[in-house]
Amino acid sequence: MSLYYFFFEEFLNNAIFYYALIVMFSYIFLTFLSAVEMKSYLRKNSYVDYKAILVSPHAPSVSILAPAYNEEASIIDNVRSLLSLHYSNFEVIIINDGSSDNSMAVLIEHFGLEKVKFALNEQIKTKPLRGIYKSKDPAFSRLTVVDKDNGGKSDALNMGINVSGKDLILCIDVDCIVEQDAILKMVKPFLDEGKRVIATGGVVRIANSCEVRDGRLISVNMPDKIIPRFQVLEYIRAFLMGRMAWSRLNGLLLISGAMGLFDKEIVIKVGGYNHNTVGEDMELVVRMRRYMHDQDLRYRVVYTPDPLCWTESPSSATILGRQRNRWTRGTMEVLWLHKDLFFNPRYGFLGLLSYPYWFFFEWLAPILEFVGLFCFIIMAIMGYINWEFSLILFSMVYFFAIMLSTIAVLFEEMSYQQYTKGSDLFRLLGMAVLEPIIYHPLTVYWAIRGNIDKLTGKTSWGTMTRTGFKTKIKQAA
Amino acid sequence: MNSIYSVVDYLRDLFTTRLPYFPSNIRSALIIILFCAIVFAELYMYIAVRRIRQNAAKRKKDKWNDTISNLLANIIIYGDDDDTETIINHFLPQFKKLPLYRPFIKKMLTKELLEYHANFIGKTADVLRGLYLRLNLHKEAIAKLKSNYWEKKIEGIREITQMNLRTEAENILQFTDEENGQLRMEAQAAFVKLSDDNPFRFLDRARERILDWHQLVLFEVITKTKNVQIPLFSKWLSSKNDSVVMLCLKLVNHYQQWDAIPLMVLLFKHENLKIRARAIENIGKMEAEMVEENLFEMYFNQPIEIKLNVIEALGRISSGNYLDFLKSRTYSENFKIRMAALYAIKLHGPSGEDLLSKIYHDSTFQNRSIVEHVLDQRIKN
Repeated sequence: MSLYYFFFEEFLNNAIFYYALIVMFSYIFLTFLSAVEMKSYLRKNSYVDYKAILVSPHAPSVSILAPAYNEEASIIDNVRSLLSLHYSNFEVIIINDGSSDNSMAVLIEHFGLEKVKFALNEQIKTKPLRGIYKSKDPAFSRLTVVDKDNGGKSDALNMGINVSGKDLILCIDVDCIVEQDAILKMVKPFLDEGKRVIATGGVVRIANSCEVRDGRLISVNMPDKIIPRFQVLEYIRAFLMGRMAWSRLNGLLLISGAMGLFDKEIVIKVGGYNHNTVGEDMELVVRMRRYMHDQDLRYRVVYTPDPLCWTESPSSATILGRQRNRWTRGTMEVLWLHKDLFFNPRYGFLGLLSYPYWFFFEWLAPILEFVGLFCFIIMAIMGYINWEFSLILFSMVYFFAIMLSTIAVLFEEMSYQQYTKGSDLFRLLGMAVLEPIIYHPLTVYWAIRGNIDKLTGKTSWGTMTRTGFKTKIKQAA
Repeated sequence: MNSIYSVVDYLRDLFTTRLPYFPSNIRSALIIILFCAIVFAELYMYIAVRRIRQNAAKRKKDKWNDTISNLLANIIIYGDDDDTETIINHFLPQFKKLPLYRPFIKKMLTKELLEYHANFIGKTADVLRGLYLRLNLHKEAIAKLKSNYWEKKIEGIREITQMNLRTEAENILQFTDEENGQLRMEAQAAFVKLSDDNPFRFLDRARERILDWHQLVLFEVITKTKNVQIPLFSKWLSSKNDSVVMLCLKLVNHYQQWDAIPLMVLLFKHENLKIRARAIENIGKMEAEMVEENLFEMYFNQPIEIKLNVIEALGRISSGNYLDFLKSRTYSENFKIRMAALYAIKLHGPSGEDLLSKIYHDSTFQNRSIVEHVLDQRIKN
């Protein structure tokens, strides 16, 4: 019996060690690539004068699609903020997804909206349309408000795509704070790449505790609460390191649902957003990529590292747990829907690297981590643990994690340096030390819950309660 | 205290005497721990020192910025009575007192002079340019053109363009077909601004693709720069470089160069759909009625995108000769074609609106809704 345990322990130690080694190596590789990509982006764009796009009659036209569900409290500020973005040829389409509050009435009153006789070209099937509204005031001529039956975010975005009359569609969360020059920066890759660009993503940052006025970001602060503070570090690592590296490899599978600019023609050709998954943002990108491969068309999916969109992140563990649970279910659904991509050489990089990476390191990693920990506890109870060796292995992962997070902070420092206060910077570095022992176990737990919920058939979106920026507005005023 | 000593002793023991006796994975783990801990500590210190140095540099920069800004502000408020040379001679000694042997001050002064020069015209701009030359700052700009780094070359080109050093135009021409797209575009834009004779010579030799972004910037430079000799862009409509053709089509439309129409008709058969579409769009925008027949004839063999362009062009020309054809398109199975045809009919003025009302009464429910859409002034096409 003890021989059996000896071999099991040996296997466990080695399996954990080599798996950790592969994960660490892949992270180092991605870090290196993101550094190269970031340097190249900053070099290339330091001489760019975005005014050229701003004034040009030849810049591509953009429809901003913002689905809104029960956003009565903040919708006016948000729409005003979107209308004031710096770009010449754009329209703002707000899709009221059957809100049960007074969102629609507030919009009609504030912007002087009236129903127009809009002939809808239903290129993507959606829930029934109630009406399309335009403003009587020419100052708001860029604004279109669509009222429809409730069908969820994907359905609302698909309706927006049907209504859109422009070349590109910028899909955003209506409650995000979008930087004034966001469209300019996101449109540029569509103009200066040799291959056809089908989508660009912008970096999403955490706006908790930041000063916001009239839907605009006034000053950047480190969140007061610890949960959003951990997410600041997590987002910097994910966006500045992970996604930049995948952008370099042209292997991006995910463009955040909070903000992504897409080639409308391709989106329509692939049938728009999928209603049947909670990971609709990732699923759309994967489907668009597949389509381009199937048609033998050369293409790129690009990420811009500029901080273009600020969002309020969950500030309590319960709400964050719901969000992460949904993300895990979304990942599972997308991986399942596109399972034929798995090591499929026909899809090149997409099938041979991007998809397997998501499978092994995004979906499987928390499961393996949980199983490893479970076995460790069982063996510890039974007294078959070499405590010193185990501690060394845990320390290896811990020190690697803090090193990686510190490199992410360095990237931030050397690029956009959003946190100008010294105290904010050191709090961020402090998070790097605490994250692996406080925050990371929670994310593993939520991922496991997500897996269980998916397997037991849970399909809900998970309510996302936001505190809003109201308090900050008052403080600022 | 004792416990700290015992931890230190334990770690020393772990990484020295005991290390060779561990299994290989534990040994590797220990080395990884040591590596990560050292990198972490170094990064932490680097970030902290970088911040401290950055703040110190900012303070220093602010101080010198104030001094330079004050000097430049004096030029702006100086009276207009004296001639340019006198004003330059008056201010030159004050600028020479600056420690220009220090590279960062020289760089800062150059940057400020360029910025002020970009924002002023007339005598002030002339004085700023004169000071720039008398302080020999232009020599550095010219030297930058020889740098191995494309960023430096761009800096040099921008300085030369801003300070209108026209003698350097020929020197810049060599970069107009560079492999590096960014440098190529900057050089092309600069050449248009600086070259006295034949500023579009670079289009003759352009082998590299002019990306959409570069076309957009060049279009702005060409159309906004004063005193540029505008050639007949039809000259390049037969270029083998598609991006040159595309740029010239945009410029032909902007300058309404009618002589280009016969060549644009030839482009209706161009294999690049974007060029074909742009040529048709230009014909529409130039309201070239004499080409209507060509548009009509080509229509039936084209893909949907080109068909839409043809319908739109016929709408813009709005001669009335093809109203029946446009009406026939309102029965198309394709929604976009129907919508485009109705918009094209609307562009025909009163006769078009009469036809729209007839179509409305004779039409199906869906076409009626499109007619209502087209006639609703609040909805933009």
